[in-house]
Amino acid sequence: MHPWTARFVLAAVLVGASASQPPWAGAQHESTSVVIVTGQQATTPVPTLMEGPQNNLANFEIADHLFLRLAEVGPGLITAGDRGFLPRLARRWTRRDSLTLIFELDPRARWHDGAPVTSRDVVFTYRRARDPEIAPRLAQVTRQIASVAAEDDRHVVFRFSEVYSEQLYDASFHVAILPAHLLADLPPTKEAWSGFVQRPLGSGPYRWVRRVEGQFIELAANREFFLGRPKIERVIVQVAASADARLNLLLAGDADAIDNIPPPLTNYARVEAARHVRVVQVPSNNVGYLLFNQRDPAARDRPHPILAEADVRRALVLALDRDLLVRAVLGQYGYVPFGPVSAQLWIRHRAPEPTGQDQSTARRLLAGRGWVDRNQDGIREDRNGAPLSLRLTVSTSSFIRSQMAVMIKEQLRQVGVDIELVRVEAPVWLQRRAAGDFDIDFSAATQDPSPSGLVQSWTCGGPTNVAGYCDPAADSLLQAAIASPRADSGLWHAYLRQVEATAPAAFLYTQTFVFGVNRRFRDVTIRPESSWRALWRWEAAGS
Amino acid sequence: MTLALIAAAAGVGPLLLPDPLAQPCVLTCRNLAPTLAHPFGTDDLSRDILSRVASGGRISLAVAVLAVGLSVTLGALVGLVAGYWGGAVDSLLMRVVDAALAVPRLFLLLLVLAVWEQVPVAVLVLLIGATGWFGTGRLVRGEVLRLREESYVRAAEALGASRRRVIFRHLLPNTAGPLLVAATLGVGDVILLEAGLSFLGLGVQPPTPSWGGMILDAKSVLAAAPWAGIFPGLAIIITVLSANLFGDALRDAVDPRGA
Amino acid sequence: MLQAVLTFATAVVLMFVLMRLAPGDPIQRAQDDRMMSSQELARLRAIYHLDQPIHRQFAEFLKGVARADLGNSIEHGLPVTTLLAGRMVPTMLLGGAAILLNFTVGLWLGVRQAIRRGSREDRALTVLSLAGYATPSFWLGLVLAWLVGVKLGWLPVAGMKDPLLPPDAPLMVRALDVAAHLVLPALTLSIVTIAGTMRYQRTALLEVLRLPYIGTARAKGIPERAVVWRHGWRNALFPVITLFGLWLPLLVTGSVFVEMVFAWPGLGSLAADAAASRDYPLVMGAALLAAGLVVVASLLTDLAYALLDPRVRHS
Repeated sequence: MHPWTARFVLAAVLVGASASQPPWAGAQHESTSVVIVTGQQATTPVPTLMEGPQNNLANFEIADHLFLRLAEVGPGLITAGDRGFLPRLARRWTRRDSLTLIFELDPRARWHDGAPVTSRDVVFTYRRARDPEIAPRLAQVTRQIASVAAEDDRHVVFRFSEVYSEQLYDASFHVAILPAHLLADLPPTKEAWSGFVQRPLGSGPYRWVRRVEGQFIELAANREFFLGRPKIERVIVQVAASADARLNLLLAGDADAIDNIPPPLTNYARVEAARHVRVVQVPSNNVGYLLFNQRDPAARDRPHPILAEADVRRALVLALDRDLLVRAVLGQYGYVPFGPVSAQLWIRHRAPEPTGQDQSTARRLLAGRGWVDRNQDGIREDRNGAPLSLRLTVSTSSFIRSQMAVMIKEQLRQVGVDIELVRVEAPVWLQRRAAGDFDIDFSAATQDPSPSGLVQSWTCGGPTNVAGYCDPAADSLLQAAIASPRADSGLWHAYLRQVEATAPAAFLYTQTFVFGVNRRFRDVTIRPESSWRALWRWEAAGS
Repeated sequence: MTLALIAAAAGVGPLLLPDPLAQPCVLTCRNLAPTLAHPFGTDDLSRDILSRVASGGRISLAVAVLAVGLSVTLGALVGLVAGYWGGAVDSLLMRVVDAALAVPRLFLLLLVLAVWEQVPVAVLVLLIGATGWFGTGRLVRGEVLRLREESYVRAAEALGASRRRVIFRHLLPNTAGPLLVAATLGVGDVILLEAGLSFLGLGVQPPTPSWGGMILDAKSVLAAAPWAGIFPGLAIIITVLSANLFGDALRDAVDPRGA
Repeated sequence: MLQAVLTFATAVVLMFVLMRLAPGDPIQRAQDDRMMSSQELARLRAIYHLDQPIHRQFAEFLKGVARADLGNSIEHGLPVTTLLAGRMVPTMLLGGAAILLNFTVGLWLGVRQAIRRGSREDRALTVLSLAGYATPSFWLGLVLAWLVGVKLGWLPVAGMKDPLLPPDAPLMVRALDVAAHLVLPALTLSIVTIAGTMRYQRTALLEVLRLPYIGTARAKGIPERAVVWRHGWRNALFPVITLFGLWLPLLVTGSVFVEMVFAWPGLGSLAADAAASRDYPLVMGAALLAAGLVVVASLLTDLAYALLDPRVRHS
């Protein structure tokens, strides 16, 4: 290189380097602020508006700083019964009978503008939440609430249409309370609320400061928060869509905390090796499985030519080394679940062990149904010579599933099953799954903390049961578990055993989310059902 | 020369090397650094990278050469016609090119997804080639606009040379420069584009290796196993460089005035 | 001018139709891992007019454009205009910096290579620039971010500004902050694209330097520097101008991979996400911008030809 060229490059580098030095470097990381990086930026962090496309984690996480619920699910995440919940806007609750709950609001609770929180706010919020025109998803999950009425300024009465164990959960978890004094007079359209969406005002530990499109959202401590003044003054929620960028920000010390570091394992290794970072493990609400279509994708009224046979499905499950899949892709941060049960559902505790790989039984089951390798090409055929070949549909958006799919193809080849990987973009994958257009679908479900959500996909008429799975015996076991007035894992495990026995799917993994937090913070708690909800209790070293 | 060597390696290599799809020991021997047993190391699923580079070369090279050939030919034709005829023909062709440039390639390719569920590699080549010539077309046209006014072209026309003669003897050889640059750069572009398309479910699908696809996969293990990306990356760079050398030699061969 | 408008309209209609023909639909996409009931899906379809035939949807779109209202993004739930406006400045900053670097350094190096054709420097620059070109931008970006940002700690690794810097800080401080964040993404983008400018410039100048009139000029005893720059270079600019026209839309379309790796709040990643999630309103908003600039760039290119060589009649 010409000397002048070299000098030019050197000068450019020096200018760049000096630009990163003070004057403002001192402003970085005052002890009372925290910078969190996440993958998506919140746009509508307002309860009852987080529906459809806006029903996403980014919105919920910001909303959880700004708005409070009546009560919170406790550390054990037990959603059944009335115990184990923590008081929030409601200071206590009592039962009049098995169908009626009465909440007494905390008299200290205030909105960020100073107005007191009253029962009018609660009634207003639930009227909107239960209106299917405004919030169809919320209306669906709160359908067993028959009425919400104010007894006086501080007492609210919830009446339920049935006796069941998750009444308190339904009355508190799904929606945080909105300020009626600002919103009740507005027409019930989203457009009319746009001012409120741009500057949401709640009763939570943090209040809204600003949002910079594509970059970050800034919140400030609500110093008058009635449950205790937050110890960290400023919260910045920065956005970086790429996990590489998020990791770099954390490792370089530009950010203090990141959520859910995704595989590959090398990412975990980088965080574990960083001295200034604490690794926090959180049970995830994700469960991944191979869903076997029991209906013929070409004609939905006919059974699937291969997968309608329970023995074939069982053989596929036994042919897989699920433990290897999890260890290869998730390392120690995941395990094979028993049934469609993510790590954060309380019913996972003391559940039976899933069966391990058993290739010889798998081969025997397949041979027993007439699948034998007749032409010695390594793939089994039926009596007419048609090969045992199945399409596995995978979304290209998921690294975990793409990686596992390549291994699954190899594992099933070993027992003579040919898998054709069909990799498609997320929208196409969802479209095909909803239409039942697949042999095997590599599904992933995000679950609420309540196990009763299993009704949706794992019962005969379930609204999102796309694979034609139907087992009346399992349905009645599930109904019994849901109707039990107590938290009873025995009933749930009986149901899960029935599901596993008929193998509607091969349940492959549930993750442990891995968070990274700078070590200068103390009392760090990350909640499985809403990551940063306890952030207001964190403390920065030296403050 | 080098190109022929790469092609030969891609042709013969797969016959001698281990199975590029085999995952012999996912937990214990993945992301291994290069050794005698695995001269290029192993990837995240314990597959031999040398085998994958060799067998991936078949598809990557074929796609690159054919698609670039197609797009450069189309670009040259349209550019020559538009630049030489000018007027309404030029306006029409350039407006088509503008419209095509304004619609991102991604959109055109998305449409393909709607038509085919699984796209054969031949169709893929056709698609990449047919959607890659717009820029080249404009470059060639720009050159022709300038050359058309040069004295020797004027002279040839005045002497009654046929249009075909003017175009093929005078204009085309003098636009060879930008055309060959376009071809050189196109080779690198196409290999990476092919890999990007696998994200749409188009193109070469995993586990089948391709150079671009290997680089995409290697992105996630950049720090732990840099060789997983470096070797296919080197293969691409060497290919682009040899395409460049080949182009230079070709231009000297077709240049009417000699170098 | 009429032609330009027609081209623009064609491109926009084409994109509108193509997007809707592509498989997958925005509402189903939005539910992600949580499946929605069919009533909920139907209600959302109605909100975005997706339950209507395509010509009616297009009519709705045109009505909106006439009111300068591009609708709400399905994925983000905010007005498309708000989202685009918030990303314009960052995109133009990054695109502008990259184009500037590309066309100043690239032209200069290309000319040097042409003058010293066949020298060791020429060959080294060829190899380096082509190696840069064949390197995927995300790869180079990751390496630079890791090395310069994380290991050495010289420059910010991602983002466009320090979020802790108060918005009322002195302008100079804020500008320096943005500049520091800009270095790595702009550098990455330039390195992976500069080969184009260099190669075209080198080739074009070589062609011109062989022409008879250059020989005449040399014979007249005009200094070599003047021969190259004043007589040669001017005529070797056509391909470079074309290239510049082709690159200009980068100012608004942005670069997806570089924006991703450096968490740069640009339009490229926003539009790519929108296309991937079939967020029709947002895609069309970005498409309007991009198509507009492509057409303008094409007009400018032709204008520049005419300015540069008066003999080229602009038809």
